[in-house]
Amino acid sequence: MTGERTFQKFKRLISKKAFLLWLDSLKKDYKLIGPRYYRGNQAVFKEVDSSKELFMEYESAMLSPGKLFLYKPQEELFRFTFNETSNPPSPPFSKRGMGGFSSKKITVDEIKPDMAKQVIVGVHPCDVNAILYLDRTFLGAFKDPHYEARRKNTLIISLNCTHVGGNCFCSSVGAGPFLHSVGGYDVLLTDFESEYLVEIKSREAEELFGLEGRGAGRDEMRFKAEKEKAMQGKFRKTLNVSGLDNIFAENMEHPVWQQTAEEKCLSCSNCVMVCPTCFCYDLRDEMSMNLKTVTRYRCFDACLDIRFAEVHGGNFRQSRAARLRQFVAHKLDQTNQYGVFGTVGCGRCITWCPTGIDLTEIAEELRTKN
Amino acid sequence: MNKLRLGFFKYSCCMGCSYFFAYVHKQVPEVLASFDFVFIKLLSRKGTPEGPFDIALVEGAITEAWQVDELKMIREQSKKLFAIGSCAVIGGIPAIKATMPELEVEKRVYKNLSSIHSIKPHAVDTYVKVDGYIRGCPPAERDLYEALTAVLTGRKPDFPEYSVCIECKLKGNTCILIAENMPCMGPVTNAGCGALCPSMNRACYSCFGPMKQTNAPALAKKFKAMGISRDDVIRKFTEFGADTIEFRKAVETYED
Amino acid sequence: MSHELSTMNPLKPLRAKVDDVKIEAEGVKTYTLSTEFPFLAEPGQFNMIGYPGVGEAPISLSAIVNDGSFKHTIKSVGRVTDFLKDFKKGDELFFRGPYGRSWPVKKAEKKDVLIIAGGVGLAPLRPVIQIVLKRREAFGEVSLIYGARNEKNMLFMDEFKIWEKDISLYITVDEVSDVSKSPHPPFTKGGRGGINIGLVTDLIDGMKIKPERAIAFVCGPEIMMRFICRGLIMHGMSQSSLYVSLERRMKCGIAQCGHCQHSGLFVCQDGPVFSYKEVCGLPDGVL
Repeated sequence: MTGERTFQKFKRLISKKAFLLWLDSLKKDYKLIGPRYYRGNQAVFKEVDSSKELFMEYESAMLSPGKLFLYKPQEELFRFTFNETSNPPSPPFSKRGMGGFSSKKITVDEIKPDMAKQVIVGVHPCDVNAILYLDRTFLGAFKDPHYEARRKNTLIISLNCTHVGGNCFCSSVGAGPFLHSVGGYDVLLTDFESEYLVEIKSREAEELFGLEGRGAGRDEMRFKAEKEKAMQGKFRKTLNVSGLDNIFAENMEHPVWQQTAEEKCLSCSNCVMVCPTCFCYDLRDEMSMNLKTVTRYRCFDACLDIRFAEVHGGNFRQSRAARLRQFVAHKLDQTNQYGVFGTVGCGRCITWCPTGIDLTEIAEELRTKN
Repeated sequence: MNKLRLGFFKYSCCMGCSYFFAYVHKQVPEVLASFDFVFIKLLSRKGTPEGPFDIALVEGAITEAWQVDELKMIREQSKKLFAIGSCAVIGGIPAIKATMPELEVEKRVYKNLSSIHSIKPHAVDTYVKVDGYIRGCPPAERDLYEALTAVLTGRKPDFPEYSVCIECKLKGNTCILIAENMPCMGPVTNAGCGALCPSMNRACYSCFGPMKQTNAPALAKKFKAMGISRDDVIRKFTEFGADTIEFRKAVETYED
Repeated sequence: MSHELSTMNPLKPLRAKVDDVKIEAEGVKTYTLSTEFPFLAEPGQFNMIGYPGVGEAPISLSAIVNDGSFKHTIKSVGRVTDFLKDFKKGDELFFRGPYGRSWPVKKAEKKDVLIIAGGVGLAPLRPVIQIVLKRREAFGEVSLIYGARNEKNMLFMDEFKIWEKDISLYITVDEVSDVSKSPHPPFTKGGRGGINIGLVTDLIDGMKIKPERAIAFVCGPEIMMRFICRGLIMHGMSQSSLYVSLERRMKCGIAQCGHCQHSGLFVCQDGPVFSYKEVCGLPDGVL
């Protein structure tokens, strides 16, 4: 289901009611995950008991489904057990008078990946593109078994957007409002009032999909294109991406960095945590109080954290301005990393910044005062 | 194998950390198995405050001169010394008075000042070198175990130094500061609590104190823009962190 | 649709046995390690060394022996390295690796090689020196220019005598501490072969370098590498003939955790050895 197939098997119009019933029928074998109403036009991606709980008309959700259900915020990786039985507990640590450090006395258990099947419905195009971005990190030269397992066992049903949020700028980076990626999803939905235009992408989805519906022809596709065009006109926020790499390279010491860091940035890392493409993690060890087990787990880390680039005797990003610049540059510059922008234009970092730092404004400032 | 000698010392505070340490946290038996409680004032058998100690835990802010002398002596007798609880780490509640002249505070409380010898409240690390900070009010369980296991195994402890927001997002909470317009102190507060209050739909009130090098004035400005009164904003930044450089900066923005 | 998983977790640490521990300098020890698995690495690569409960740290290989054992020269400074200082012969620790790009030793063949190091920066360059010594005829003039705070902080001093037979040694210190108390034989003051006082850059300024046939491998504090590279460029060397090894915070070593990112480069994967051209002038670095 990683989108290696490029065939566009069929396109049908299915009534929303019938489609949601089909979703419920998947519950036998799959965990059903989708947007649930939070407040206003905000949703939260959660496991639902029934498709009735879904809020498909949502505009945005703070945490992207990719960073909740594919790349988990926190994940246990290994468990080390110290096989020493004495009371009081005496681990194989020499400082307490034991006979040296022996890893033979330690068993290492690799936590097996979770193979449960899940379907995530209602994933907006920006978030599908974000998942493709995470694929580059976790399915690259070294594959992460946990991510890979979930990626292979997850059916992604994308939904083209029906609302444009105030901070959305996906159209500027080609990540929305309608999905055009080659892969990364299994089914693509477009809202046709009382029906969904259902485009099946993967073989697995094709096998699962039992609904007949009405075949979609040229007229329907034209209608879809018109819808997309209408959506394109609704964007209030844009980002001029031409020549951004040069603009960043020339403005590393631009006053906007210092000024934003001074007046606005709290270095609270909210931007990083809500970003659907931010992939950084920390590995941490936690030892039980009886000193018998150590769990090594990973959890999201953020480049806005003061210790992120700290080494002995120095910190490569000691100043808040440098850390802010690293975040913004990773989204809008640094395309040498994966050949694509680090941003998908979802606008989450703007929406959820407590002090309203806007990376598109920073980019504009760099451009105009160049 | 011998247990490690542990001393728990109390200065100006509510003794909640002692209580937490002796009775409340989840792994009291495991801690007892590894440590000999040489001195804890809270227990009915206090023990004797005589060193040497393998580990000393110090709670409470330093607000009287004799405390300084005793603290320095404990430091000399202890291999490792940790500040535990917000009062010891940042000044905490006893440091609310840090913004006022000492005499003025004394007059407000006591009629007869002849026997009062208080000094400006400060955190423990103002006077002695500290091997680590077990932050919080009450202290974070995870950080307590980290400190104790570090001493037991002879490694350097590792405490979180990032914001509550990170923990809050790891839990999957939707941000209450933005979504519900609550004056949450999470963005400038050091993590460790597991975002307890925001998870219960309550604004963080910074009982863990400021995150290192945080930008408190920028959050104060945000609170002001949210319509929170000057006094309320000042109160937010002085409830626990009145004696910290980070939060003092936020208060200073109102002082001209 | 049960999907087979292609991988075991690349973050899983392996056991290594400490065969020998040698004190190199103040707070610096060399650990000879061996594993049950074949271990192949290139000079300049690093391992993640760790112990459960303490964490992991990236440490460069300071020697690669073909029989499967390898060495790490570790200065005790951080959480992990401080913990390792108590390890003795027979103890076991955990590691994974090797990771990263190596020194382009092949490219250095037939060329004059400048090996320039500061402090513990000599450790990742020692495998290069060993290759040079083994196949001395493959290289042109080879010089080691090494600076340290004082001779107490100098690594591999007992090997200098052997190295000196085949390569030119230029040694410099910032200051001379009490030589009479030093466990190592004192140097005589003077140019090549002796000990100089001053900066590595001063030595380089006074050297005769044929820029068109020279290649430089530099490792040390980033600020030192900055001035060395600029000095060598003043000698006429090109940016692409200078190689540096960078230090960054790392948690994974496999281009995932993001800590080592340096303007879009993953230092763990694209480095730690870079040509100076790739990294000079990047933000958040001083090169």
